[in-house]
Amino acid sequence: MSVSDFTIEQQNDHIIGRFAAMASPCELLVETQDPLLANHLTSLAYLEAKRIEQKFSRYLSDNLMSTINKSEGTPIAIDNEVFRLLEFAETCFQLSAGMFDITSGVLRQAWKFDGSDNLPAPKVVEALMPFIGWGKVKYDQTSITLDKGMELDFGGIGKEYAVDCVAKVCAEYATTTSVVVNFGGDIQVTRPRQNKQPWLIGIESPEDDNGSTKVLKIVSGGLATSGDARRYLLKDGKRYSHILNPETGYPIENAARSVSVAAPYCIQAGLLATLALLQGANAEAFLQEQGVKFWCYR
Amino acid sequence: MQLTSNNQLAKGTKKVANINTALAAATCALLGTSPVVQAEENVWEMDTALLYYGETDRVTAVEGVFSAKKDFGDEHIFSGKFVLDTLTGASATGAVSQPNAQTFTRPSGKGQYEIQGGELPLDDTFRDTRLQLEAQWTQPLWDNMRGSTGVHFSKEYDYLSIAINGSLAKDFNQKNTTVSAGLSLAFDTIDPEGGRPVAFSEMVIDEGQFADEQDYQAAFDATRQKDSDDKSTVDLMFGVTQIINRRMLVQFNYGLSTSDGYHTDPFKVLSVIDDQGLTKSLVYEERPTERTRHSFYWQTKYALDKGVADISYRYATDDWDINSHTIDSRLRFNLTDNTYIQPHFRYYQQGAAEFYQPFLLEGSTLPTFASADYRLGEMTAYTVGLKYGMKMPSGNEWAFRLEYYQQDPKNAGFDAPGALQQLDLYPSLKAVIAQVSYSF
Repeated sequence: MSVSDFTIEQQNDHIIGRFAAMASPCELLVETQDPLLANHLTSLAYLEAKRIEQKFSRYLSDNLMSTINKSEGTPIAIDNEVFRLLEFAETCFQLSAGMFDITSGVLRQAWKFDGSDNLPAPKVVEALMPFIGWGKVKYDQTSITLDKGMELDFGGIGKEYAVDCVAKVCAEYATTTSVVVNFGGDIQVTRPRQNKQPWLIGIESPEDDNGSTKVLKIVSGGLATSGDARRYLLKDGKRYSHILNPETGYPIENAARSVSVAAPYCIQAGLLATLALLQGANAEAFLQEQGVKFWCYR
Repeated sequence: MQLTSNNQLAKGTKKVANINTALAAATCALLGTSPVVQAEENVWEMDTALLYYGETDRVTAVEGVFSAKKDFGDEHIFSGKFVLDTLTGASATGAVSQPNAQTFTRPSGKGQYEIQGGELPLDDTFRDTRLQLEAQWTQPLWDNMRGSTGVHFSKEYDYLSIAINGSLAKDFNQKNTTVSAGLSLAFDTIDPEGGRPVAFSEMVIDEGQFADEQDYQAAFDATRQKDSDDKSTVDLMFGVTQIINRRMLVQFNYGLSTSDGYHTDPFKVLSVIDDQGLTKSLVYEERPTERTRHSFYWQTKYALDKGVADISYRYATDDWDINSHTIDSRLRFNLTDNTYIQPHFRYYQQGAAEFYQPFLLEGSTLPTFASADYRLGEMTAYTVGLKYGMKMPSGNEWAFRLEYYQQDPKNAGFDAPGALQQLDLYPSLKAVIAQVSYSF
């Protein structure tokens, strides 16, 4: 870790620590006047974020994910953390009746959501379908076995998971200090501020593309956003969202462009947002039923 | 682009299920954390209680209480309370016992009642229903500061009370010290049936001396002021709460209360006694129109391994010369994780008001103020009780309380002439209190 990996900036009533990880700008807002404390928390956050990125990123060639994805039917040893994430993915798969499936990442080989009208040929999509299906993955506490051609992709939950892990590290180190962990709009507050006033956080507005920011108020808990208004395909006047249905291999019809959800934990909020996108036109009704605060952009 | 939110429920065509609870559990398993109680923000905490208070041969009261509290998030708390009580029975009039039967006119002027020789005169027409409503809002302000404001409304047949309050509390020292200041303003109006008696006017008793009903009514009306009267009260409170250690908390409060207006009890009289101790007449009491009271309160709570000890002491003094001491102690023992018992002991002692007199002597100069109300006399009182509480598997709680209360008025140094020496002028008051409460 070098000095330039993160920066510290003193604000009126808090200190901001900044670094980059998981292809996102990462921020730590620390309610303290003590730069040493803020510095230490930011370094802990940086290390934890990098640890998770290193372990789960699908873009690296020498990590555990890559080993699993290239295993071709050979059992691969896993640790308890991976097991807990697999269990979590299993629960989400069950709760969504198969719509949330971390093996559906292979569809990226066919779909490039670059704003163009280049829809993949049906044959290409069809050829990928045999490699999708969480039910085919065998795992236990110590190992996982993935059929040849299948891939796991924690991209849908990795950043939110990292936010919660970093928040946990901060909460354990500074038990009485309120800290906001904000990884590109996926947010967790460790505990309410001393005066119970909300944290004001600038997040990139999902409504337009010119990079404007909105100020968000958050007191406690987590917040996450799923969906990306800039990732889509447009052909013959029809908009194809980047949310893919693992059962058909095609984009979800009438999906919201982006959904933000507030929940006690960031990863919980993130999952609800993702499951809402998978509900298509029913996103609002689904979120209403969950009894959470949400913002749905269409 | 269109924004939809909680308020704009889309026309859902498919039935959707609530999976959030299961997802929350999965999240906790993943992160190795304990579940966050999300319900806090949305749930009303309700308390209901039914209380019975019964004095031997005197007043019986039944009171129903319903209160509700809700945290609208971030410690923005609303609480409301609804109380309805009914009082029936007999209340001491202030007149002394006599060897012979005595006749009294009812406070309304309509009708009479008779008290047998040797018995304490009680007005048995005491009957009232009281409705009380309260609402309070509390929220954090700035810099570790909390503000609270509320209204209070209470209505009886002949009495109306309206009050507003506001307070500020600030935490210091990492919330180990809390300093608070509060102000309350109350305005009361009284308009008793039959009017308010003229000070020291003689009770008109129809013993056949009036030619007709109109004559009697004219004589009765001459002792009455027809319009209503009022009283305003300002209360100031300053408090400090200090957490001593993980187990102990100490609180100190100072209260200053000043009231201005009608303090007299329109139903209370004094017997005018001759040197034989016999009642010659009955006159209505009169109290000062101002009262200033200081109170000092100290409380310590101590968490035991299996319960809580709570001991408090209050000293109050006022410019009517009533000085009082109260010691209150509660000791909660947790029998199991879900049940507890809590013995309660309270001791109270007060000195008499400077204008308190058990009776007036015939022929002596009339004082400016006088009252024979036993509540202003010298007394000791104690309460012993036991409470049993149990939490149901649903989290709702039942509690049962049974208490015994005894008040022992004392002679504050008055010599009783003649016949009064044979009579009990300061009889004890005994009461039983039973309460059932349910919180959900």
